[in-house]
Parts: sequence; structure tokens; C-alpha cells
Amino acid sequence: MTTTPCPTPPQDRPHERHRPPDSGLPDRMVSVRDVFGIASDLRVPAFSTPDAHVPEIDSVYRFNPEVTLALLAGFTHNRRMLVQGLHGTGKSTHIEQVAARLNWPCVRVNLDGHISRLDLVGRDTVVLRDGQQVTEFQEGIVPWALQRPMALIFDEYDAARPDVMFVIQRILEQGGQFTLLDQNRVLRPHPGFRLFATSNTVGLGNLNGLYHGAQRLNHAQMDRWNIVAALNYLPAAEEMAIVAARVPSLADPARHALLEGMVAMADLTRKGFAAGDLSTLMSPRTVITWGENIGIFQDPALALRLSFLNKCDEAERPVVAEYYQRCFGTELAESHALTAQRP
Amino acid sequence: MSTQAAQPAQVRLQHQVEELCAASIRALSGQPDVHFRGRRLHSAGVALPLFAPHLHPSLDDDDFASFRGASDGLALRLRLSVPQLHRQLCPAAPVERLLFELLEQIRVESQVPAGLRGVAGNLRHRFEQWSLAFHRSGLTDSMRGILLFTVAQICRARVTGEPVLHEAEDLMEAIRAGIAPLLGHALAGLRRYRHDQAAYAGHALHLAKLVADLLRSAEPEGADGDKDKPAEEMERAAFSLMMDFDATVEDGIAAAVSGRSRVLEGQGDVYRVFTTAYDREVAAASLVRPALLREYREQLDRRIAGQGVNTARLARELKLLLARPVQDGWDSGQEEGRLDGRRIAQLIASPTERRLFRTERLEPQSDCVLGFLIDCSGSMKQHIESVAMLVDVLTRALEQAGVNTEILGFSTGAWQGGRAQRDWLRLGKPQHPGRLNEVNHLVFKHADTTWRRARPDIAALLKPDLFREGIDGEAVTWACNRLKKRPEARRILLVISDGCPMDGATQLANDAHYLDNHLKQVVAQQAQSGEVAVFGVGVGLDLSPFYPHNLALDLSSPPGNGVFRELLGMLARHLCF
Repeated sequence: MTTTPCPTPPQDRPHERHRPPDSGLPDRMVSVRDVFGIASDLRVPAFSTPDAHVPEIDSVYRFNPEVTLALLAGFTHNRRMLVQGLHGTGKSTHIEQVAARLNWPCVRVNLDGHISRLDLVGRDTVVLRDGQQVTEFQEGIVPWALQRPMALIFDEYDAARPDVMFVIQRILEQGGQFTLLDQNRVLRPHPGFRLFATSNTVGLGNLNGLYHGAQRLNHAQMDRWNIVAALNYLPAAEEMAIVAARVPSLADPARHALLEGMVAMADLTRKGFAAGDLSTLMSPRTVITWGENIGIFQDPALALRLSFLNKCDEAERPVVAEYYQRCFGTELAESHALTAQRP
Repeated sequence: MSTQAAQPAQVRLQHQVEELCAASIRALSGQPDVHFRGRRLHSAGVALPLFAPHLHPSLDDDDFASFRGASDGLALRLRLSVPQLHRQLCPAAPVERLLFELLEQIRVESQVPAGLRGVAGNLRHRFEQWSLAFHRSGLTDSMRGILLFTVAQICRARVTGEPVLHEAEDLMEAIRAGIAPLLGHALAGLRRYRHDQAAYAGHALHLAKLVADLLRSAEPEGADGDKDKPAEEMERAAFSLMMDFDATVEDGIAAAVSGRSRVLEGQGDVYRVFTTAYDREVAAASLVRPALLREYREQLDRRIAGQGVNTARLARELKLLLARPVQDGWDSGQEEGRLDGRRIAQLIASPTERRLFRTERLEPQSDCVLGFLIDCSGSMKQHIESVAMLVDVLTRALEQAGVNTEILGFSTGAWQGGRAQRDWLRLGKPQHPGRLNEVNHLVFKHADTTWRRARPDIAALLKPDLFREGIDGEAVTWACNRLKKRPEARRILLVISDGCPMDGATQLANDAHYLDNHLKQVVAQQAQSGEVAVFGVGVGLDLSPFYPHNLALDLSSPPGNGVFRELLGMLARHLCF
């Protein structure tokens, strides 16, 4: 019989450089213009040295000004922030990259329907100490992060069961203390503690049929998030810049028209989805995959088939073929122009 | 009508093309409620103006690429032109108006958004095709025709920066040289302000005025020769499409008419039936030869395949609509919940293992039965193919969603009363006999039969001689009683009909609204008892006088995804949970 070890928070590794948990407060101010390339005179607090939990900087990451400013407000003014957006828009990465540039330690927790209170709060476990079996309380991720300068990100916040998420009800308030019932301890959040969450829906459940498993959230809790930012699909120019940054072969000016067509195609699928003609849509992630597949197969039509078309229902493919013809002027095999028999 | 009946393949092709065009218009314009109805683009049920003459290709003369070009033109018009501003500036005189509309269309066609290479090609192709058709039909032989043609060509070339159609270049050379100096300034303005609708409109109005004056001065020349007369008429015919551009026709769906029934009221609202001796309830498939059924089924399958309905999506949406979470078994191996006795031993063997609990599992389950009751009266014959497709696709999708379905129909055994009326005559025509016909209730599919097994039986709907008269009230009662015997918790009845109850003999012997009022009574009773939710689906008719929950469907063309969306919308609005 196998036993799974109970999930434990990441331990500070002594050989790596890290700050003592209590003193850690941002020690310098950085200019938003310099660090994020956003036209703003804002200066935000940051740490001067990274520690083990600071994510790595992705140098080609492109910040969405609106969401970045909201996130920075979250970091600076200790606001609890929820980022909502359709899939593949880079919600979690966005928070991570902001944290990376501020040298703010950051931990991502993927929530799902099986996350229990014990996982979040902690539990008694039997450990071996000096050859003796003793029961010891092992802190969960929430109390662990709460006592450190740490940005805790709850990914897929709407996938967790709403009754479990009441655990975080109190820490959603600024300075809200956290009571560890099992230990009769009251934890005060570290001033450098930040809480973020990302979700696909705004807590109303799976309305459009895209997000299976999304829960209806409790609105008393939704109400406690100080900032709710929406990261939906971007203007075409920005999306093109993102795809070009991710897939360098498409950044070539000679392939600009191809890239433009790809982003236009993605936009058509999104509008088609909104109109009910398609039941799937192309996220920016799909566009990037498509771009990467073009690099492999050297054929945009084949790459599209492999990265998107095969995910579509058969009945929808002629519609996708129409979109493709609009963007590239050439036909896909499913196109009505090729398949229809004239009477 | 006759050509449609003669060429169903043509109609289907037209429908496919329109579906695809409408889908791309929706995506390109970002307006989700745009669709074709009767070959004309409608937005939210209101017909849109015709905009420009080259946006209306026909399947007989034009290729699919022309349809694409036209639909792209329409999409850009919806996306880039502000209709209020356009309407405000639009001149009243017909020729000016025509030109103004055309120029606005050219403006939007010059601004193809980045990344849509194919759209630019489609638009160019369509305009070329239209120009060639215009020229080949002889319209350019008249002075006015060639003048309009030249203006259209020059304006488009100038605003979009694309070259003039090669074939037309020689033809319009003379006119072009003549009018170029006159229009030069306005043309330059059009090109410069093509991104600004209001500023562009100023130049467009000016140009339209100049050309209209030119046309007026060309008129006396043409008037002296008889030869020009027919050409002028032809030209007017070609542009006549343009003349009713502000006709915003509302949906032509009439409402059912009903009134009071003195006979029914006089009898204390008790509905009477003269005799039930000849009433029958039969399995519809038993009335049709198996070979014919097979043939009908193949016909139906071909139609449905050509329709491109997304059954999987439909099933998913129906499931969302009709399923409710139900406790269904246990999930064991949980970290919290109720203690699972079978796992206690595990705790002893492995003390760190905490997954000793079990929780109740909730599964979405559609504990639901949905009955279709189809009016098989004579007038339904013309819609029955669409209705059969609708019912068949829905049945299949509902089955995938775990909902049981029943398909029922009602008709009469004879025209004009049949044996019931003969008995009544024999008895010396007693006054107000009540219903006077042989009721024929048809069962196409039992709730316990699967769609797969019932496939040939459903095709019996296509048998034309089952269709006679309709006594709706009794049929609704019958269908509801059948549904009430089912074990499912939720029961829904969809009555598909194209008119009021109709039986000549009954109405003559009682009064015109006897059957109508009985139907109203029955529906009200069912609504009150709440055991069965009754919905009325009117085929080209608004059934609101009879059914509080109703929907008018346009089935003049075969049902596409839009029709199913409307149906789901109606169910979602009225189903109480």
C-alpha cells in the first residue's frame, strides 16, 4: 500500500540565501516606468535581493498596463486582488512576473475541488523525533505564507469548493488575523504578505459551458476582494507583440502578414464563440502553440489543424474554414467552396 | 414557391451558403444577432437596409466567392459605419441616395482591418463580378447606365486605391475624361477622409449631387429616341432594389386569431364530444409501408446532415438546462466527510493515511420527460419537413442529455366529420353536439423507445395523407395524461402547430371558436395543475392567445443552429426550478 505524504509547504533551504522571515520588508522603491515599461510616474516598493521563492524573470514578457498597475496597487497598498479572465490570457504568469521584477517571493497554489481545509490550514502528523514517534502540527500553506513576506497566489480560485474557501475569509481583510484552531494560536499576517487569486469566471459558475468544474462562489467572499481585474483578450497589436516575443521566428518582418492573419483569425473565433457559432475559441496560448507548430511543420494550415481545428466540433469546421479564408485568402480542406456540390 | 419545391437541393445549398455567410458576418462585425431571413440580412429580427447593389448575389448567377465578398461587405458596413449618422445625412432624392449609399459602402470596403487578406480579395472579386454582370446585361448601353457605372468604378478605384477593372477601362474612357475634372475635388476629398465617416459624407453628398445633375442633363438626350426607353427601364429595375432601402420590415409573423365561443359558454364551459366511437390511437409507423418509411428516413437524414446542426453542443446546453444535481453514490477516499468503516483497518496499518472518509457524490441527472405534440392538420404539410428535422435533432440531443422524449401527433380520421357527422345527421342534427369528428391520435415515438429504434417511426411524419384536421384541446389533454403516467419528476410538453384548432364539421355545428376556447381551457388547466409544463411553438404563427409560454419560429427555411437557440431560450425563460 502506498501512502502519499501530506502536502507540506516549501521549506526554506538553509544553504540558499534568504531573509529572516520577520524583518523582510521591501527595502527600496523602483520606478514603474523603468521596470515595467509603462508610462507612469508611480514608484513601487521592491526588495533589493531575490530569495529562493522569487520567480525567474521572463525577459520577453509583456505587461498589460491596466492589469499591471492594478497588481502593483495590490503589492504596494496591500490590497487583496482577484484577476479574472478567459483561459490562456496569462493571468497567473502576469502576477508572477510582476513579483519577479519586485523580487517579491511568491508561491502559486493550484486549487481544485479536492483541496481540503486541512491542506490549507495544516494538520497533525506523526513524525520521528530522536527515535520517538511524536505527533506534531504541520502548518498548511496559508499559515506558513502568512508569516512571511510572501505573495500567495490561489490559481483557479473558482475550482475550489466554496465551503472550503471560507478558510481564507478572515485573511481577505487587511490585517485580518488567522486563528489556528488546532493549536489555539492566532497568527498576525506579516506586513509583507500579499494574497492574489486568479479565476476564469467571476464566481457565477460555468455560464457559457467553457469552464467545467467552475464553482459558483460565495458572494460574501467575492465581496471581500479589494480589486478585481479582468484580463481578457488583448488588442491585436499587443497580442501580436506577445506572440512574436514567444515565437521568435514570427518576429521576422517578412512573416508580419502571417502573424497579423493569425491574430485576426483568433479574433474571429472569439467573436464567433460570442455569437454561438463555435463552441471553442482560440486563446492567446493557442495562437502561440499555432506559431510554434508553424515552426515545426512549415505550413500554417496544417499547424492550425493540429493546434486548433481538431479541437472543434465537426459541424463547426466549415465555419472555421470561412474564417481562415478571410484571414489568409486560401482554403482549408473543410471549406464549403471545396466540399459543396452544386445542384 | 414552385421553383423552391422543384429544386430542394438549390434551396438547401442557398441555406448552407447563407449560414456560413451569416456566421462570418457575425464574427467579422462582432454583432451576434445577425442572420439571414428570406435572403435578406436581419439584425435582431429587423430587416437591415440593402446598402448597395453589389451586396446581393444570387445562387444562379454568382459563385461562392461572390457570396463571401458580399457578406464581407455587409460585415464591414455593420462594423465601420455608424447607422444613425448615415441616416441623418442621407439625402432624400432617389439618385443621390443611391450614390450616397454606394459611396459609404465603398468607404467601408476600403478599410479592411489588418490581417484579413482574404476579405480584401473577396470584396474585390465581388465588385468585379457585379461590374461585369452589370456591363454584360447591357445596362451600360444607355447614357445614364454608363455614367453611373463609370462613377462607381472611378470612386471605388480612387477610395480603395485598387486599379479599375481592366475589362471596363476602354468602355469608360470617354466618360471618364469628361467627368474627371468635374469630380476631381470631391474624389480627392473622399480618398483623404475615408477614415472619417462624417467628413467623408460631406464630399459624398457633393459628389452625389454633381452626378445627379449630370444624369438629369443626360435625360433629354435619351428621351428623344424610343430605343433608350427599355434600357432605362432595365436600369431602373437593376437599381430598384436600392429604392426601398429604408424599409425596415418587422417580422411578418402573424398572431393567431381567436374569439369567444357562445356555445361553450352557454354549456357552462363544459366541452362536449358527440361520439368517441371512432376515435383511434395508433402507432403512426403502422400506417406507412416499411419500404416507404425507409425512404422517408433516408430523405430526412440527408436533410439533417446538410443542415450542420451541432448536436453535441445542443445536448450539452439541454443538459445544463434540464439536469439537476442528484445524490448518486459515494466518493470514498476523502479527507473529510463521513467516516468510512471499511477503511478503519487502513488507519491501523498506515496511521498517516488520512483518506478515511467518504462524501456523497452529486451527479447532474435529467429526471425529465419531454413530449412533442405535433399538429398534423392539412396546413402543416408544407412545414412538416422542417418540423420533422427539428424534432428528430432535438430528440437525439435530448437523449444524449439523458432526457426521455415522446413524439405524438394529432389529426382526424376523416375530413368534414366523417362517420361521427354521419351519425349526427342520422339522429336529426341535435343542436350543439360538441366535437364532431373522428379523432386520430398518432404515436411516433414512445418515451421508452430509444431514438435509434424509433428512427424509422419518426420518418412517418413525412407521410402526407396522415394530415387532415386538428382538434388541439383534446390532443393536449391526451398528451399530458400520457406524460403524467411517466415516473420522471419533470414533464414538459412542446406543442408544435401552425394555426388554431380547425375542424369544419365541429365549427359548423357549434360555432367558430368552440375548439379554440376548449384549447385555452385545457392549457390553463394544465398550467394550474403544474404537473406538465406546456409550451406552444408556432410555425410562422404567434400562438400567444392559446399558450402563455410560446415561441414563434420561422421555419420557411430548414432549422439551423439559430432555431435551436431560440427554442432553448424559450425553455430557459419559462422553466421554473
